[in-house]
This record gives sequence, structure tokens and C-alpha cells, in this order.
Amino acid sequence: MQSTPQAPFRHLHALWFQITGTLCNLECVHCFISCSPTNNHLKFLEPDTVYRYLDEAIQLGVREIYFTGGEPFLHKQMLPILDRALQVAPTTVLTNGTLITPTVADALGDLQAESRYSLEIRISLDDVDETRNDAVRGKGAWRRALRAMHVLQDRGILPIVAVTEYLYDATPAAPSPGHAPGEGSGFYQKFRDFLLENGIAKPRLKMIPVFAMGQLHGTVPLASYVTPEMMQGFDTDTLQCTTTRIVADGGVYACPILVGEAGALLSTESLTNALEPCTLYHTACHTCYVTGMTCANY
Amino acid sequence: MQYQRIAVFGGIYNNHLALATAIGDARRRGAEALFCLGDLGGFGPNPNRVYPLLQENGVQVMRGNYDISLAEGLEDCGCGYTDPRDNYFAEISYNYTFQQTSDIHKRWLATLPDALRVQLGRYRLYMCHGSPRQVNEFLWESTTPDCLLEKFCKDYQTDAVLCTHTGIKWHRELPRHRHCINVGVLGRPENTGETHVWYTLLTADPVLQVDFIPVHYDYQALAQEMRQEGLPEEFVETIVSGWWTTCLEILPGKERAHGRW
Repeated sequence: MQSTPQAPFRHLHALWFQITGTLCNLECVHCFISCSPTNNHLKFLEPDTVYRYLDEAIQLGVREIYFTGGEPFLHKQMLPILDRALQVAPTTVLTNGTLITPTVADALGDLQAESRYSLEIRISLDDVDETRNDAVRGKGAWRRALRAMHVLQDRGILPIVAVTEYLYDATPAAPSPGHAPGEGSGFYQKFRDFLLENGIAKPRLKMIPVFAMGQLHGTVPLASYVTPEMMQGFDTDTLQCTTTRIVADGGVYACPILVGEAGALLSTESLTNALEPCTLYHTACHTCYVTGMTCANY
Repeated sequence: MQYQRIAVFGGIYNNHLALATAIGDARRRGAEALFCLGDLGGFGPNPNRVYPLLQENGVQVMRGNYDISLAEGLEDCGCGYTDPRDNYFAEISYNYTFQQTSDIHKRWLATLPDALRVQLGRYRLYMCHGSPRQVNEFLWESTTPDCLLEKFCKDYQTDAVLCTHTGIKWHRELPRHRHCINVGVLGRPENTGETHVWYTLLTADPVLQVDFIPVHYDYQALAQEMRQEGLPEEFVETIVSGWWTTCLEILPGKERAHGRW
């Protein structure tokens, strides 16, 4: 559609891999791609596929690499894949943390120690209260996420805790006593205090808005889209799709949110061929436009 | 013009005491020219004390994000922080510097270039603030891949990329005698528990020699000034302890692990 706005492509900052497709050992009620133990809609990636795209990314001067799923640590080759990725660029794994045992943490600690680049492990947690968190993420999720944070911290990896703004209203409000500097709703400070109280010495937090997709499809009464008028005077550099691409089952997609969506598929065989403008056709594009969010760590 | 030895200063952050010390030190070490990669303001006290030192000593200055924001009257410093804690303290810092900086200095900032190209012996140097492509891109040692540096050297037709912005120095040599050097900053210590700051001395000898020079300045006097100006005690603590207490949520894992907070 000629009237649908496009985002230009600037340079390759982040290359993502949806390494385990839509397979996950959890089934979170807000998952934007409805991952679950039985969702095989998007398949695992083979290591050779990852390595081929990494080689292409080197030529393009990639800045950082991300692995997501589903749950990446379901992949039997995740550790050797991480080893290879860390030879190329700083690498982040998005995980629910439930499979990060002390043995896995030992291996991750070794990878981090031997690498010039940072290995970031981003662990999802949606509430400081175990019952409320597990109502969203599944029984045992809270306890095992905290275990993962501790075993990683013990081995020199400072986890990033990713909070989806599902249970809290993140609308900025005027600061009031007891709230974190620069944040009005209080839940950033709540998480920060919780992590400090539970022995996480250097809390690192990333807040993520909710997308009305997947499990939450249809929950927003009036879907919103980016219009050509909205692009007038808008700084497109704030959109992650100007510097990010994701490799998944089927090829290379415009961004990690639209992974698997036909309208976001840019190439079936080459990263270079996917470095073209993408169309801001989805309601998720509107969420990114309004919130300025990025899937990257910063 | 071709040089054999130069001194390069990173972000000054209003630390006029460290700047004065560094200028004298660099001259004594035989630097033929002095350069500053931008971010003259922020964090410290009395921004107007920096400009005469730079101008009277002939320091060749380019702009960082802070300087662009001041020159153009922008609402924030443009540092590129994404965490609310970082942005809270960055806002305090910027508002102070913006209010205290004289208009004549803001007009001067508008005349400065956004990058500098310098010939050092047989080396082409490209001086930028954050990265060659983006003024506020953070090039930390642990998050800057070799392949990206190769691309910068090729795209910008240079043998060495010099940058600052992160606050922590590092140097990496690439194949074929190319380099990336984060020159560090004069503005605040680099999160090791030591109170001195750093600048970089480069010599073409004929291979490039990179020396990181510690700058021991009167940090207690700076702390006193900061208190007199009503700057946050968190900023003062960094100056007197050598540990970052603010604007550290942006640190990647390896660098964050080395700090105290």
C-alpha cells in the first residue's frame, strides 16, 4: 500500500536470532507470539544457519547479537552457538531463566570470562510477588528466575531483569516521595528494591511495554496504526527497525516483534537482501512509535 | 598539517582543575598540539571556567552531544541514556550547565566542528565524540566488535578512530596497523576507586604509540566547588571516591561488574 509509511534502513546495529522458534517451556498469558511447550509454528534454527548469518553480519559491521525464542536454553547447541557469537560481537540471551542451573551458569561464566565482549543474560520477571508473577508466567517461574539471577551473579554475570508492563500501569506521573528518580508509577523502584533485598547487588532493569498480539490479540478495542501524517517531522532513528533485523524460521524479518509475520519478511536467504526499508503496517509499529521502545538492552 | 606527538582530551564535564593540570602536563611531555573531543559541560561546577583555558591554550576543540545541545538550546544533553535513574541525574546536570553557561560560550560552541581529521606521522586519525556515525553512540571496550571498527576505518578512510563519550579509556589494535582509541575523560574518574582522571598522548614513532596519562588534580577543591554550587552529593561522592554513583545504568555487563555500584 503506497500510503503505508516506511522506515529507512541505516546500518546493522543488532542482529537477532529466534533460535528456538515459538517453543518454550512456559506459556505466559501475555506472550506476544503465543510461545508454549506445544507451539511449533516457528521452528528451531540449525547452528549452521546461525553461523552463516553471523559470517554475513561480520562483513556488515554488526554491533551486537541477540538470541531469543521461545526459550533459547531449550536448544541443545545453545552453548557452542553462544561461543561462536561471542567471537563476533557482544551477545545477549533473552530467557525465562528456568533452565539456568548452576552447571549452565558455570558454562556461561566461562564464556564470559574468555570473551573480549560482554555476555548479557536478560531474565524475565513480571512481579516481585511470587503468586502474582507465576499467575502470568507459570508455577515455579519466579523461584527459578531468582535462582538464575543468583547463580549468574556468583559467576560474574550481572543479569538484566526484563519486566513486561503487564501487571503495572507504567504511565509516567509526577514524582512523589519513595519513587525512583525520574519514574512516577513506582514499580521501577519496587523492582529495584526487591532485587537489592534479595541479594542482587547491582540491579539492572529493562521495562517493556505490552503488545496487543499473540496471547493478547484483540484485547485493545481500537487498533492503532502509524499514518503518513504521523511521520511528518518524526525522527525515524528512534525506530529499532532502522538498525535491527531478526533471523527466524523462514528468513529475515524486520524486527523481533514481527518475527514470523508475512508482512515483515524481508528476505528468505540473505541478511544483506533484508537491509532495505520496511513497512510500518502493523499495530506493533504504532506501539513502537508511541513508546519509543526498543527490544535492545539500551 | 602533520604532527608527531599530540595530546587528546575527552569529556571535560566542567572539570577546569583537571583540564588546567592536563594542559600543563601535555606541554611538558612535548605535545605539539592539544585536542578535545567534546562535552565541555555537565557534571561538574562553573562551566565558564573551561572556555578560557581551552581558548588561551590553543586547544583544538570539536563538539560532543553536550555542546550541540547547549549551542542549539535543546531540552536535554542528548547523552543517549535510556534508564530513568540515569536520565534523572543527567537532567539535573544539564539544567545546571545550561543555566550557568554564558551566551558567548554557547555561541562559540555553535562554531565548532563535529569531527576532526588529523595526520599523525603516517597515520590518518579520525576524531569523533561517540562514534564516527553517531555523536552519542557508546563505544565501550566490551561492546565494540572488531568488525565494526574495521567498517569504521574503511567507511571513514582512516587508520585510527579516536572517541570519548563513555568515560572509560581503552585501546585496540586491528590488523594492518589500524587502531581504535577511546581517550577517556578529564571530567570524572573512571570507576576504579581512584580519584585521578586521564588523557591520551599519541606519538608517531614511526608506529603509533598510545600512552594513557593519569592526571592527578586537586579533586578536593573541585568537590568543594561542587558543593558550593549545590550540585548533588552523588556527583561529589564520585569525585572524592573514584566510583561512579550516577549515570551507570548504561554500563554493559563487564564494565558494570568492575565498579562498586
